[in-house]
Amino acid sequence: MTTRYLTAKVAGSLATLLFIVCFNFFLFRIVDSDPVANLFRGRNLTQSQRAELTKQFGLDKSTGGQFVDYLKQTAQLNLGRSYTSNQPVWSEIKDKAGPTIALVGISAVLSAVFGVLLGIAAAWRRRTKTDYSVTGFSMATFSLPDFWLGMILLTIFAVGLGLFPTGGIEDPSSTATGLAKLPDQAQHIFLPALTLTVAYLGEYTLVMRSSLLETMREDYLVLARAKGLRDVLVRNRHAVPNALLPVVALLAINLGFVLAGAIAVEAIFSWPGLGLATYEAIKGPDLPMLQGLFLVFSLSMIVFNLIADLLYGYLDPRVRTA
Amino acid sequence: MMRKVLAPAVLLLVLVGGLAAVAAQGQDDGRTSVFDVGDPQGIDSMSPLIGVTVAAYEAWNIQYATLTDKAAKDYSTIPGLAESWKGSEDQRTWTYKLRPGLKWSDGKPLTSEDVAWTVNTARKEEWINHSSVVQNLTAEAPDPRTVVIRSSVPDPKLPTMDAYILPKHIWGKMSADERGNYDALDGVGSGPFVLEKFEKGQFARFRANPHYWRGRPAVDEVVLRKFNNPDAMIAAIKTGELDAAFDVSGSGFKQLQQDPDIATIEGYQGSMTEIAINGGDGLKKPHPALLDPKVREAIGHAIDRETLVKRVLDGFGQPLDTLSVSPSPKWTPDVPSEEAFDFDLAEARQILEDAGYKDTDGDGIREMPGGGQPLNFKYMVRSDSVEAQPIAEFFTGWLREIGIATTRKVADDSQLTTIVGKGDYDMFSWGWTPFVDPDPMLSYFTCDQVASDPDDPTNYYNDANYCDPQYDKLYQQQKVELDDQRRVELAHEMLLRHANWGVYHTLYVEPDLQAYRKDRFTGFVRQPAKTGPVIYAQTSPSYARLKPVTATAGGDDGGGSGGIIAAVVVAVVLLGAGAFVVMRRRTAYERE
Repeated sequence: MTTRYLTAKVAGSLATLLFIVCFNFFLFRIVDSDPVANLFRGRNLTQSQRAELTKQFGLDKSTGGQFVDYLKQTAQLNLGRSYTSNQPVWSEIKDKAGPTIALVGISAVLSAVFGVLLGIAAAWRRRTKTDYSVTGFSMATFSLPDFWLGMILLTIFAVGLGLFPTGGIEDPSSTATGLAKLPDQAQHIFLPALTLTVAYLGEYTLVMRSSLLETMREDYLVLARAKGLRDVLVRNRHAVPNALLPVVALLAINLGFVLAGAIAVEAIFSWPGLGLATYEAIKGPDLPMLQGLFLVFSLSMIVFNLIADLLYGYLDPRVRTA
Repeated sequence: MMRKVLAPAVLLLVLVGGLAAVAAQGQDDGRTSVFDVGDPQGIDSMSPLIGVTVAAYEAWNIQYATLTDKAAKDYSTIPGLAESWKGSEDQRTWTYKLRPGLKWSDGKPLTSEDVAWTVNTARKEEWINHSSVVQNLTAEAPDPRTVVIRSSVPDPKLPTMDAYILPKHIWGKMSADERGNYDALDGVGSGPFVLEKFEKGQFARFRANPHYWRGRPAVDEVVLRKFNNPDAMIAAIKTGELDAAFDVSGSGFKQLQQDPDIATIEGYQGSMTEIAINGGDGLKKPHPALLDPKVREAIGHAIDRETLVKRVLDGFGQPLDTLSVSPSPKWTPDVPSEEAFDFDLAEARQILEDAGYKDTDGDGIREMPGGGQPLNFKYMVRSDSVEAQPIAEFFTGWLREIGIATTRKVADDSQLTTIVGKGDYDMFSWGWTPFVDPDPMLSYFTCDQVASDPDDPTNYYNDANYCDPQYDKLYQQQKVELDDQRRVELAHEMLLRHANWGVYHTLYVEPDLQAYRKDRFTGFVRQPAKTGPVIYAQTSPSYARLKPVTATAGGDDGGGSGGIIAAVVVAVVLLGAGAFVVMRRRTAYERE
């Protein structure tokens, strides 16, 4: 990989990040709102209490002054304090990142693995019953809204069969600590992870299927067969590795979404992650929290996009010379 | 390649299934009685200096006792940490005697020092949840069991002292700034239960306080759990995962009413909804027609409260003719029938006709007297409320029938607060939930709460934007009236005046819909009696009185599902293992 290609990609990412840091600040201030009045409606605050809260939130300064403060703070990796909890935004985000990474990470990997396998099966046995049923299933799950699927799974497995809890990440009355919590948390993550896995699965299947079908028309596969290789080996050694290229890109981009979580699914299963935190912060509006969350989401998108770019360049030499 | 991927995937699946099963088996390990409550809102902070949500109040009610308590029956003031009290001649100085041998949950003595420190520090630092009680008070502690509290003004709320008393040996060690940012997870309190574990956005677990002044509660633990999905909360109480639920949806409530093991409660605490008209005394005038009392009167006759309760609230509510200023019904006056705005579209039309508002151009909409500007009002619809949209549908429909058009605009709460402050609207619908003492709600409609500073329009409460000097006079009188009966009369007079302005049409009071499992706990108390809620009440008296229903033999409700899970998991493990073995073989064959 050339240094020039690398430098260009990294510089592009940094420029995007800088733009987002600035854009972030103004985005949440387009709407004319007063967080103090809204958060404390009906609370009978005195004038001085209001003034104090306004000052504490940094809202007593002009927009320009607030922007300068924001840039300074962000440069020092200080994302401010949440209006609602009065705790540093960074620590709030840190606490909630774990559950989201676990949930969306597991689902992303599982859906990619099973999606690819199904895609291979469908493409290899194209125009058979396997192909039709896999494609049909994938189209169906791809088009299902994840919140709807979540509700259905919740109704069947949690309410109807009573196999899994209805929400949360752990049993509140459990006193287990450390690794002993794992079985309890595994039971809680099962339904949301299943929902997301099924919801993401179809995309991988369809991409893998069409990519493999395209590869199967290549001359080198005819050659491989002509050499006398068995069908399974032709598929596994020659066709699949070449067809995986678009899936790698898709996976990298989807991993960028991992932190942004799945707002709807986290809300349905009361999963205490970043998606839910975003939803709550919008209700406030908790401006520092929203700014912090969007910054982190953008950062993860940029980083994974960069990784996808670099990986693509590495896997496919045509990209980096283009 | 494919095999290499498939093998770990199958293993992972087996692992997840296995863990789930272990967890299911590991549950229900015979833990002592835990009262599990679901609520859709959640505790925002355990610190009474920071939190604002209803769930946070519930947590403090559980953890912190107050000097005087409120009777479950009617909110009357009863002994709390103080067993008795005596007022001075002018009723501005009150001397409280604490119960003997009071202790914090950590075993340290609870003395008058803690009370005096809380009152004085809360006043100086203006703690948001203490201010309304302590802003004019100073406290002294002449001896460990005596607290003397002086008010700088006549205060009809005294001797009620319903501010949470905090442990000085914890909170007193910090600077004011540190206190303001303290997360309050110390779990030291004087209430029936104290915090054991808090996972923000998920749950708070409390354990019984052995030093609680009424004695250790019969229940071992209380859990307040946040549910982001209201349907999941209904499901959880049905399956027994929860013992009680707060803020249940109307449709969920109807489902739960069918379950013989579940008690459903419509708990009234005075939460009300109104349609407010811009009274014109704020920063911007409304449509000129709305400044005419006749037009406002006609609008009052175009609101069918019965229908709104039936259709918008699913029948869970009661029509309301005046402002609801307290959860206690004694503060609500009976409106004489000649003063009430009853639903009568013909009368509404007649009033408009007589006042000269006629439809001169035949488009179905009336114009100002003498023609000209049509009666088309700007109606703000709250996007943050599920009720606002259907209310808007009904109300604007009725207005249309009397020849008034509306232009609807949607705003979220934050935007609407600003719009109301700036007076940039004709009408909107919103609501209030009052405190027990009516003073705060009454104060919101005084003249100095009408927005007057264009640079800071949201710094005011009067969202009627209407100023009535006579109302202000009565407000000042009730504020210092120490005779309770007389104060009630003054409040009634104020509320009837307020209703007569015609700028604030109250629609209904709505209950908190709650449910609890009768087969798990007994001892629930409604506050106030008969009409109030059993949990999330003003002082939440139920928790200290709950008793677990004696468990019947084999009452392990997880057992059945545990068996099913075990079967499912055995099947998954066998399938997984089989697939794994087959794959290993085939891979070996391929390595020819």
